[in-house]
Amino acid sequence: MGAAMPAPLAGRRVLDLGALCAQRPHALAASMAAKLCGAYGAEVVRTLPEGGEPFAALPPLLPGGGSALDRFLNAGKRPGPATGRFDAAIGDAAALSAYAAEVPIKARLSVFGPEEPDPPMTELGLAALSGLLGIVGEAPPAPPARLAGHQIAYSAGLAACTALLAALRAGGEEMVDVSLLDVTAWLNWKVAAGVMVIGSAPVRGSAKATWFTVQARDGHVALVYQDKDWPPLRDLIGDPRLLEEPFTTGPGRGANRAALLEVIGPWFAARTRAEITEAAQARRVPIGPVKYPAELLEDAQYRARAFLAPDGTPALPLGWDGRRLAREVTDAV
Amino acid sequence: MPSDPALPLAGIRVVDLGWITAGAASSTLLLDLGAEVVKVEGPGAPDPFRQWEGADLGTDWWNRSPFFAFTNRGKQSLCLDLKDPRGREVLLRLLEEADVLVENFRRGVMASFGLDPAMLRQRFPRLVIASISSQGETGPDRDMVSFGSTLEATAGLAALTGAGEAPVITGRDVNYPDQVVCLFAAGAVVAALLERDRTGEGAHLDLSQRELTSFLLGEELIAAAAGAPSPRRGNLDPAEPEERLLPDGAGGWRVEWPGGSAPVRDGVALAAAEEFIRGTTVLRSPDGSPAKGIPFRFARRTLAVKESCHTLGADNRAVLAASGFPAEEIDRLEAAGVLATAPRPARRG
Repeated sequence: MGAAMPAPLAGRRVLDLGALCAQRPHALAASMAAKLCGAYGAEVVRTLPEGGEPFAALPPLLPGGGSALDRFLNAGKRPGPATGRFDAAIGDAAALSAYAAEVPIKARLSVFGPEEPDPPMTELGLAALSGLLGIVGEAPPAPPARLAGHQIAYSAGLAACTALLAALRAGGEEMVDVSLLDVTAWLNWKVAAGVMVIGSAPVRGSAKATWFTVQARDGHVALVYQDKDWPPLRDLIGDPRLLEEPFTTGPGRGANRAALLEVIGPWFAARTRAEITEAAQARRVPIGPVKYPAELLEDAQYRARAFLAPDGTPALPLGWDGRRLAREVTDAV
Repeated sequence: MPSDPALPLAGIRVVDLGWITAGAASSTLLLDLGAEVVKVEGPGAPDPFRQWEGADLGTDWWNRSPFFAFTNRGKQSLCLDLKDPRGREVLLRLLEEADVLVENFRRGVMASFGLDPAMLRQRFPRLVIASISSQGETGPDRDMVSFGSTLEATAGLAALTGAGEAPVITGRDVNYPDQVVCLFAAGAVVAALLERDRTGEGAHLDLSQRELTSFLLGEELIAAAAGAPSPRRGNLDPAEPEERLLPDGAGGWRVEWPGGSAPVRDGVALAAAEEFIRGTTVLRSPDGSPAKGIPFRFARRTLAVKESCHTLGADNRAVLAASGFPAEEIDRLEAAGVLATAPRPARRG
């Protein structure tokens, strides 16, 4: 549209105390929230401890040196002291009271909420306590599966940024509290609500779990479909055994996954992910390829939308009147 | 119903065309931050969340879906046929006074209603339009049909998740991208309102759930671009090398790390846990039913679930009257079935 680049937080200064948080989940969440503020146009100052950037040695490490985690979370932030005027600050309780007492709007990360002490905690511990770990993965006795990356901390960072933006819009003073456990359990609401609303919670790998990944010739595809998608999917695979019990109902297919895989497995194994996806999508069945990060760098959709920079850095996942938000000032890291 | 003037989005009016979770729960967060939300559903196309396993077809089953009520508590309900030109005109009238429109239809559906976002953006320059979709508004895969777990696969999350031989998707009990997008989309809307406060300009926000899912693996994309491998690490977090997932001896699992440990809870254990009960994940509607909670708190402003779920079309007359429709015209729209209080035809599916 030719107008100036949108910058909702232009002129605002945000203090990132992520490097001074006592625990890593808080540190990652605060750093993500501050990163998002930067993407929305704020000037972000990241105050470092005496030992320097705590993420500099954290995986994934780059072959040429440095940490991809550090680059992802901290690019564009300005290292500096927690002095001067700030509109908002993000950190844990101790860092905020030590460095941001005068900042009007604060976002405070905690394990359980503002009234409770923080026990030593990890993201996997939070996933366990929230039920999110227990619901993901193959049926017992297989272990549950942790979501890759830092989904727990980053989700809390998204929540903190959203609440902080709202507090900035309201103006005045505010303390935003984000409990890592509350956010994680909020993501996993179907399990909690299952018990409280319906009286039974979904469990990992139950007969109702009819979605899983299937081996293709060149990797895996995600077999995802609703009841209405079964007839076209069944006809696509074209094996007459699929017209018989126990495969005619969702619970039947879920409870007999091994037998189902014996029937459908060879069809998938004989085809590439792209062939399977194209055939399924032509019938509007929501199957998709399991793609690795390296493949996403070449992904046609991501290229068309200018989502990834040449160094792999993803843009803020938001189109704004057809444009990406881009910082006009490139701050030194 | 007047909003709490102290809340950040007090006075903001949201027209919610959102379905299931990604759209509807994003609007719920805006409601919780103080906005007024009118949920608009067509009599021929109600929110699919109204269909539920325990539905008794002899009843108004569409008003009794527990998960629908859980997610949509507190919104005004307008049941309006957008496929009818008169329904479209009503919606356009509502948008004249609205600040935000949230939609997560399949791409192309808005245009088929004559509600193309580009047209809306021109006609209502102060309106913030949040379009939440699988792949985004543009690109060769724009029309690819996906559920949340499809996007876990196409975005790179599944490839890196799983303790066994195969990549793992979360499945229909989680559909992770549908949940997490709400946290981001609500923030993007607030950001667009801040921008509008600065410039007077609304925005069309194009939110791709697949891009968000990849964004949340940003460090892995950067590592891959630099030539580093992207192994599936199962339950090992390389940043926490001393952490372990262990059988608990009773058929379950527990996590141990230096200084702490935690049981791997199922839903029953979660719902009974004290810190869960004290938390904000699940709150109560005024009618006592469990309600979708609020994933943050403000020290100076009380965020709460203020109203229970309205029945389908309960606010038809009030919403139209507030937009200046005379009673006779509302009567005509009701008689023509453009306004309704039940799905048409009243059957599941």
